[in-house]
Amino acid sequence: MGKKRWIILFLLLIFWLVISTSLGLPHLLTGVFFGLVLIWYWRDLLSGFPGISTFQELLALLRVLFFLAREIVLSAIAVARTLLFSRPAVSPAFILIEPPLTTNWGRILLANCITIAPGTTTIDVDPETGRFFVHALTEEIAQTLMYWPMVDKIRELEKLIQRRTKDVMVDSRSDVPDTFGTN
Amino acid sequence: MLKVLASICFIGSFISFGLGAISLFRFPDSYTRIHGLGIGETMGVALAGLGLLLLSPDWIIRLKLIFILFLLWIINPTMTHLIMKAGLLHGVEPVDDTRLRLRGER
Repeated sequence: MGKKRWIILFLLLIFWLVISTSLGLPHLLTGVFFGLVLIWYWRDLLSGFPGISTFQELLALLRVLFFLAREIVLSAIAVARTLLFSRPAVSPAFILIEPPLTTNWGRILLANCITIAPGTTTIDVDPETGRFFVHALTEEIAQTLMYWPMVDKIRELEKLIQRRTKDVMVDSRSDVPDTFGTN
Repeated sequence: MLKVLASICFIGSFISFGLGAISLFRFPDSYTRIHGLGIGETMGVALAGLGLLLLSPDWIIRLKLIFILFLLWIINPTMTHLIMKAGLLHGVEPVDDTRLRLRGER
C-alpha cells in the first residue's frame, strides 16, 4: 500500500473518530475496517489524485484557496447586485473556454472553482480537448471568467506537481504509468 | 463580543438565503435561478457555519462543523453542475436572450 493511501486512511480515521466522539477499541477497529474498505473501493480514483509533498506546492494550493474565498465573496456581491438592481434582470450566456490546463485533476479543480463561485456554473468539460462549457448569469461575469486569474494559479500548481513527479520518475527509472491523467 | 460577531454572521447568512429566495421570483429561467441560489449555498452556508463555530463550546463540535462545511463546499458545486447538466440534456429551454460566447469574442 502506497504512502498516499496510508495518509488517506489516517484522514478517514480522524474523520471517523471526530464523528463518533469516542476512542474505544471497537470504534477504532470499525474505523480502520471501513477505512480499508473505502481505500480498496477508491483504488482507481486514488491513483489519479495528486499528492502535495513540498512546501512550495502547499503554498500554491493555499494561494488557490485564498483566491477562491475572495472570488466567492466578490461574485456573491456581484450576483446580489444583479439580482436587486439590474434592469432587465439578467443577460445570461453559455460560454466556451479552453484553459491551458493539462491534467484532469487541474480541470476538475477549476470546474469546481467556477461552479462554487456564484454566477457561473460548469456544465461540461471535454476530457479530450479540455474545453469548458459554462453558463454565466450576465455578460459581465462571462467576460470576467474568460480572463480569470484563477486559471494561472491552478496552472502554476499543476506545473509544480508535474515537475516533481517527472523528477521522481526519472530518479527511480520505473515504469510508472500515467497516474495523473495527463493527455 | 463573540455573540455579537456570531449574530452578524447569522444576519449575513439570513440575507444570503433571502437573496436566493428572491432570485426564484426575479430570474427568468431555471439556469439563472440556480445562480441566485448559489449565493445562499456558498455565502449563506459559510456564514452560518462561521457563526456556529464562534458559538460552539468545545473543539470536537468545531471540528465536526469544519467537516460539515468542507463536505458542503464539495457537494454543492457537484450537485449544481449535475442539475444544470441534466436540465440541458433533457431539453429545459434557457430564456430567449441567452447568448453563446467563445473565448476572445467581445
